Amino acid sequence: MDSKQERELHKNAKELINQISVVLRTSQIHDANNVALASSISRLVTMINALVSQENILVLELRGEFFYINEYRIRYSLEYLLNFDFMVREFKKRELGNVTFKGQIRPDDIKAFIKAFIDASFSQEPYNTIQEKMANVRNIDVGILKKVVEDDSLDVRKMVKKTYFNAVSFTQGVINKIKSGEKVNIKKAKRVVESMVDQILEEEQMLLGMTAIKDYDEYTYHHSVNVSILSIALGQRLGMSRRMLTELGMVSLFHDIGKMDIPNEILNKPTHFTDNEWSVIRKHPLWGLKAILKLKRFDDLTIKSAIVAFEHHMNFDLSGYPKLKKGSKLDLLSRIVSLADQYDAMTSARVYSRIPLSPDKALSIMMERAGTQLDPLLFKFFTNMVGVYPIGTLVMLDTKELGLVCESNQLFPDRPRVMIIVNEAGIRTKGAVIDLTEKNERDEHVRSIKKTLDPNKYHINLAEYML
Amino acid sequence: MEINEDLKAARDVVQAILKSKKIIRMYPANNPIYIKTIEDCYARFHDYFDYREGLVLKIRQNEITWESEQVYANTEKEENLALFFFKDGLREITFTRGLSSEEMEDFLKIIAMDFEREVLDDDIVTLLWERDFQSIQYIADDALLADDDNYQDRAIEEIEGRSNDPDNILKAYQDAFSEQDVSQDTSIAPLSDADLKQLMQMIDQEGLGKTEKLVDFLFELPYLSETKAEFEDLTAFFMNAAEFVMQSGDLVIMNSMLSRLNVLIKEQHIDEEIRKYFRRVISYAGGNTIIKLLGEILDSGQEVDDKIVDEYVRYLDKSAITPFMNILGELENIHSRKIVIDALIFLGPKDIMTLAKGLNDSRWFVVRNIIYIFRKIADKRAVEFLLKTVRHSDIRVRKEVIRALGELGGGGVFQTLRECLEDPDAQIRSAALRALGTVASEAAKRIILDKIADKTFKDIDFEEKKEYFEVLSKWKDREVFAFLVDILKKKPFLFGSSKMDEIRACSAYSLGLLGNKEAIQILTKYKGESSKLVREFSFTAIKRLEHGQ
Repeated sequence: MDSKQERELHKNAKELINQISVVLRTSQIHDANNVALASSISRLVTMINALVSQENILVLELRGEFFYINEYRIRYSLEYLLNFDFMVREFKKRELGNVTFKGQIRPDDIKAFIKAFIDASFSQEPYNTIQEKMANVRNIDVGILKKVVEDDSLDVRKMVKKTYFNAVSFTQGVINKIKSGEKVNIKKAKRVVESMVDQILEEEQMLLGMTAIKDYDEYTYHHSVNVSILSIALGQRLGMSRRMLTELGMVSLFHDIGKMDIPNEILNKPTHFTDNEWSVIRKHPLWGLKAILKLKRFDDLTIKSAIVAFEHHMNFDLSGYPKLKKGSKLDLLSRIVSLADQYDAMTSARVYSRIPLSPDKALSIMMERAGTQLDPLLFKFFTNMVGVYPIGTLVMLDTKELGLVCESNQLFPDRPRVMIIVNEAGIRTKGAVIDLTEKNERDEHVRSIKKTLDPNKYHINLAEYML
Repeated sequence: MEINEDLKAARDVVQAILKSKKIIRMYPANNPIYIKTIEDCYARFHDYFDYREGLVLKIRQNEITWESEQVYANTEKEENLALFFFKDGLREITFTRGLSSEEMEDFLKIIAMDFEREVLDDDIVTLLWERDFQSIQYIADDALLADDDNYQDRAIEEIEGRSNDPDNILKAYQDAFSEQDVSQDTSIAPLSDADLKQLMQMIDQEGLGKTEKLVDFLFELPYLSETKAEFEDLTAFFMNAAEFVMQSGDLVIMNSMLSRLNVLIKEQHIDEEIRKYFRRVISYAGGNTIIKLLGEILDSGQEVDDKIVDEYVRYLDKSAITPFMNILGELENIHSRKIVIDALIFLGPKDIMTLAKGLNDSRWFVVRNIIYIFRKIADKRAVEFLLKTVRHSDIRVRKEVIRALGELGGGGVFQTLRECLEDPDAQIRSAALRALGTVASEAAKRIILDKIADKTFKDIDFEEKKEYFEVLSKWKDREVFAFLVDILKKKPFLFGSSKMDEIRACSAYSLGLLGNKEAIQILTKYKGESSKLVREFSFTAIKRLEHGQ
């Protein structure tokens, strides 16, 4: 298949997924004979048959958070974002993993599928219901949702850790090189960021989990990498392309480069800063701009990096620093990095305020700043990304178990995956990860979050559980 | 298919890749050799995929293997395909059935790039990653990315050393019972269609206006800079920005930058020492590097607004003259050269001496262009430089410089123009004559009158004679009138009467051009002249005078 065909297939596939979503949504409102529904079904049938005629078969499969059509991963597009999310949610709810269309599809086939799909939502065993009701539909097969194999996740975790620590080590190397006047290898920097982008696209939660561990000695380097990871993750939510994500990852990795010029005695000062010390710290965006512009000849990436380094403390409403004679709207990348920077800084121990906040507390403070210091629209996406209970949040469950949020849930934000660290008997435990979406036979959730606590208050070292 | 045949097919693919890598570097995409190489390479892949799903090549430093069999080996450092992949961390490349010709060609283009070049910020892995091939996968070793191989182990060891105090965790557990319950309202801020629309606009606009923004920031820096070193840095930033802007062909930003620098230079509170930094930037903006880039833009065929280039030139100082002259001979497009000539017409008066150096250029057309520029500048100081060019080996240059001398005038030009009237080349003589006409001074008139009065004048070609009289008619005074009438009245001798009649006819022609109606009565007498030439020219002159043409 050549690229043109690929693009065509990809475009058609996106529209197909969108159209299925439209049909399913419409069918929840109207009965089977409704004109609007019939028209939607007719359009869907045309689209399916067109795709089937090209490749003889059309397999729509849900893997993780992504749909695949005939083995091609269909990337989210912004225009269909809500319908894609709806489809992921509804498929997961019914444990439906794939739908195969073959031969000539008729509107009645689709109607049968819709009926099976709707009926399944009222069933205790939704997938079995769909399978049973589709048994007589010759041209459409269904398959169950496949679970992620646990063994694989160990290897994945290893890779995620490697990516994270490579990035930190590289960042440390870059700062040292700049300090000693050596040349920085931009090619290497891109490779580091590309690895992070890949991990975000495939294993977002694990890499985000790495950013939740805040007790490393070398805050500056970890902070740069954390901001880069959080920015890429947010960029992905915004629908940015891989190339844009790489640029975003690069600019965010170097956003604090100006800090290398802050004297260590100020940077590592254990007590509060004096006014003079603050004025030195407030110069780091300017120093960052200069450091980046000195790195190499100007190109698009240098310019974007310099802008972000200069603007990342300027604030959405330009109330921050540095103050300019001619103020202009903050750059999109700067607004993204500001969010990631504030979140990581607030939840870390070695920042100017010295008082690390719990992730949920940090979010609530950021919410107050949305519209003034922070871009309110991007903040919405950010909260959707990190969830109501961000990774690293210490939670007490209604089962009297104490746990740490280790993976957020995009579809049910109040039901993340939690690692239990104290069981219901009040005894320390380690390792068991439970999913708060789990339900019992009465269709009630087995566990829910009852309270949140500040892990910093109890000096809880997340690394022990999350590395 | 036998394993040996498979092995051969794999080897053929690798050899085809190797060959294509070289050919793509050498030929443009529309060259038949290029096209055939791509087709051959695709055919090798096609042969392989006839019986197999995927071609997995494992990369080592000096060899490439397929199913443990060596398909390529080279121990040299140069032109080593294995090492080329290996050094960027590529350890395995897999091509799968379904590989399109377009994907294959893109892959080959990537590996044919010159990665040794400084300006290329991407290595092969990055380029493969960005292209995101559907039918080409690779495994890259990221170990080389870490600056410190042991960083991960050390960091984990350190952080895990700080194990949790069980008492703290149990205290958290106890405290949790007295904490407030979480709010039931745990909904995430919902995203509306308007939010998505706004987001799409934001993403679409990402990438726009970055350079302007950076330039804005650079203009903030003078107010945030204090030391000499800071101003040196700022100067370098402005220079880099100017180069980048010109590379991007964004002259509007360039003009805005130069305009703002000019404003800064004129600001009262700016110290003279600081002004020098800004002047350096302006000089750089008109230096060889930037002007050469401008030349590339002008010759690239892309649409350039002449007014914007004109504005850019107006911000430059005299240091831009030499760079503009340097590109003048390089440009291929006539319109581009016209733009550069206009630039030099504006800049030239700032430094005539420097502009005059262009007269020594080895290319005749550059010299002619410079002379043209001097003509347009119309500065008499140029005469001393132009006079040296009169003996140029190319007649086109000589004609242009004679014309220029005529336009510039001045005492120094007469001797040269007089000499040129004796030149063996008729075109030069004609140019000199016209140049004297352009000077239009008494001295110039005298040279022409003397020449006509000379006894050898009658021997020159009729057309040339006529040109003398045509030029002479530019002096519409009594002396010329009387001179012409005298000639007309002269009775020809028997011998050589036809040559003399030619002169008399030209005189009649010139009287017609002179426009003095007194000549009608005189000319009428010659309407019946025995010489047909005199008769006809007198008749035509009368008509011209009567009709006031």
